[in-house]
Amino acid sequence: MHKYLLRRILWLVPVLLAVAFITFSLMHLVPGGPWDREKALAPQVVENLNRKYGLDKPLFVQFGNFLWNALRGDLGVSYSFQDRGVTQILLSGLPKTATLGVIAFFLAILIGIPFGMAAALKQNSAVDYASVFFATIFASIPGFVLGILIMIIFSVVLHLLPTGGWGNVKHLIMPSFALAALPAAYIARITRASMLEVMRQDYVRTARAKGLAERIVLLRHILRNALIPVMTIAGPELAFLISGSFIIENLFSIPGVGRLFVQGVFARDYGLIMGSILFYAFAVAIVNLIVDILYAVVDPRIRYE
Amino acid sequence: MKSKFVLSLVATVVIVLLVAIAACARPTPTPASTPTPAVSQILRVNLAGEPATIDPNRASFAGERTVILQVFEGLFGFNQDLSLKPVVAKEIPSVANGGISADGKTYTFKLNSNVTWSDGKKVTANDFEYSIKRMLSPELAGDYASFYFDIAGAEEYNGAADKDAAAKEQLRNALGVKAIDETTLQVTLAQPRPTFLQIIALWPAYPVREDIITKFGDKWTEPPNYVGNGPFILTEWVHQDHMTFKQNPNYWGVKPKLTEIQFKMVTDINAELAAYKNNELEMSRVPPGTEIATLTDPVLGKEILRYNELVTFAFQFNVNKPPFNNVKLRQALSTAIDRSAFVDKVRGGVGKVALSWIPPGMPGYDPNLGKEYEFNVAKAKQLMADAGYADISKLPELKFQYADTAGNRTIAQFLLGQMKENLGINLTLEPVEPRAFSQLVIQEKHTWAFLGWGADYPDPDNWMPELFGTKAGNNHTGYSNPAFDALAKQAKAELDNAKRLQMWADSQKMVMTDAPIVTLFYRERFVLVKPTIKGLKTTGMDGQVAGDTFLSEVFLAK
Repeated sequence: MHKYLLRRILWLVPVLLAVAFITFSLMHLVPGGPWDREKALAPQVVENLNRKYGLDKPLFVQFGNFLWNALRGDLGVSYSFQDRGVTQILLSGLPKTATLGVIAFFLAILIGIPFGMAAALKQNSAVDYASVFFATIFASIPGFVLGILIMIIFSVVLHLLPTGGWGNVKHLIMPSFALAALPAAYIARITRASMLEVMRQDYVRTARAKGLAERIVLLRHILRNALIPVMTIAGPELAFLISGSFIIENLFSIPGVGRLFVQGVFARDYGLIMGSILFYAFAVAIVNLIVDILYAVVDPRIRYE
Repeated sequence: MKSKFVLSLVATVVIVLLVAIAACARPTPTPASTPTPAVSQILRVNLAGEPATIDPNRASFAGERTVILQVFEGLFGFNQDLSLKPVVAKEIPSVANGGISADGKTYTFKLNSNVTWSDGKKVTANDFEYSIKRMLSPELAGDYASFYFDIAGAEEYNGAADKDAAAKEQLRNALGVKAIDETTLQVTLAQPRPTFLQIIALWPAYPVREDIITKFGDKWTEPPNYVGNGPFILTEWVHQDHMTFKQNPNYWGVKPKLTEIQFKMVTDINAELAAYKNNELEMSRVPPGTEIATLTDPVLGKEILRYNELVTFAFQFNVNKPPFNNVKLRQALSTAIDRSAFVDKVRGGVGKVALSWIPPGMPGYDPNLGKEYEFNVAKAKQLMADAGYADISKLPELKFQYADTAGNRTIAQFLLGQMKENLGINLTLEPVEPRAFSQLVIQEKHTWAFLGWGADYPDPDNWMPELFGTKAGNNHTGYSNPAFDALAKQAKAELDNAKRLQMWADSQKMVMTDAPIVTLFYRERFVLVKPTIKGLKTTGMDGQVAGDTFLSEVFLAK
């Protein structure tokens, strides 16, 4: 297990390098640079800007400089937010995005699993149909439509919640619900399918045959095994949620990291692009690793050598 | 078995809680969305995003200017009619009062002696000297440095990035900017520039503090380091969320009526409107295309504020690419566009038909210019025939490029319809991602493309040579007319104002005849303002926030 863990962590290095290299190449292949504006800047001004930000150097030198600085924890400068380094921008946005992501994750689990269970236990009943119906609705409505819809209801019509921003609990309600809708629907459907599968297994029949109480069969034999596939998707969902969503953060004016990458791409803000993509890659890799370890803990059939 | 399950549950919960605790470690308190009583004198408006920088020497975008205008004041400011008024300067220099030398090259600015910074120190001519020299330095790489290349030695100094420190220092000292004493600033130009007073009135030349910038470096723009000499001070900047401004206790001028201004950073325009409806904002834009619905709305319809801006929208040809190298064809296309249909039907009457380049409200606007391009299908067809395309099927494929945004899409589709309907031309639309579009146009790889231009300062000097002079920085049409170039060169340096404006009028006539562009409409600002807001004064050059030049005169009333 320790060996496995070490191997996985060492693998992070080439993975992050590859991500950095691919991002760097793609970003310089895209037409349009950071100084291409509707109102063209004077050539001499562009020259000075390129020199100031090191963009006058050959690309491989730029890439080398980036890596060297990144190793020391400095992700470089952003051209769209010129007076704050990329590291500082990411660090100040991260807690906000993570708070929202964790709340949304719990919401998704608290909604998704009970609904999925209810649907599976009462298969083909009204509960089942209702749960599948809502799961389908929430899985298919795009985030910004759902977001604007609840914003109109709770802010514009009922005046109960602020439309956006950051500060207190009220600011978190709408965006976390809008974020949780899709994963909740997804988790409900997976839970339902997986429960139905497990309920037909021999060991469940055995458990019942030896006279265990239905509650114990459900909790110890069905639910526990049915949750393995749910965990498979819950891990990446958590990684996705804590790295933020451009659409929801943009709509609800959340000062998080979710919109930085897209903003960076639009502005050809090379520093912001590289910084945020490396951050995402790191977050996803770490969460995946944790999920893999948890598998082994939950499922005795899985062993890592 | 059981213990493992419990263990896994515990592990999950612990990880998640750790993240949550880390996340909650630094809460940022903001007031809730309770409606503010009108007497509180707090104005909440939307800056629509985090400014890239609020350093006056480097800033260039509208939102950045909006912030700077609250915190700093320059030598001069603009009145509501966009004429100049002295602010930190005592008077407007002229040849008559000895402020401008007879050759138009030396400007002597007398400063008011009672101007103070927000920390109580005196604003002196040295602050201006330092600021202008800093703005021109190659290391700072200020976006607007090129606007000040008329100052003696400015272009050389700004282009000296390759030189060693001693050579740079020498060029810096040789700049034509000098504080003679505490209240006298002298600026020497390399050549006369009659619009220099307007240029020196802009934000890049606002005074900044050397001691503060030296002490805090890049962090000088954070409160409380951000020391200015304007009516407000920046007291709080929650990045990506909002900025708070309060009255400057040491302001030397008339105290503002507002006690507080909040600039929110809502980037989604639908969310901005929702915030306005939920009484979180006192002003809001409306999403493009909803102008008609807003006008007919029983509540919002009464809260609309509209005024003309110094912004022209047009289509630019690449005059070196056939068939657009044919002037008759360009004129034909310009005549085949029903501009009033666009303004009335597509934009709900918001905006004004543009038949010429310089917009109303700016010196040099000529309402009679461009009448030959008024919508006339028969004339357009005749011009097509004159161009050699009596048979439209012989015309090569015409392509139109535009930055792919919601507003531009509507414009492009309108053009497509007009071409089809009026001339039978099947126009090909080529939407391009905005940055890539800018590069396409700057490199002159487009054929026929969208063009928008807004005023930096209210003079044709900012609208003609930069766009239509041979190889000029923002001339992306490839247009080159030696007669225009000669006239523009003369006009740029002509000290007699009446003569100067006549020259620009003549130069605009040349351009309109040669038709490197098709003008479409002048933009009109269309915003919602709560009825409690009083004293809002707008100008055609407002930045991100309507009326941001005069926010110190705004107040709230029941």
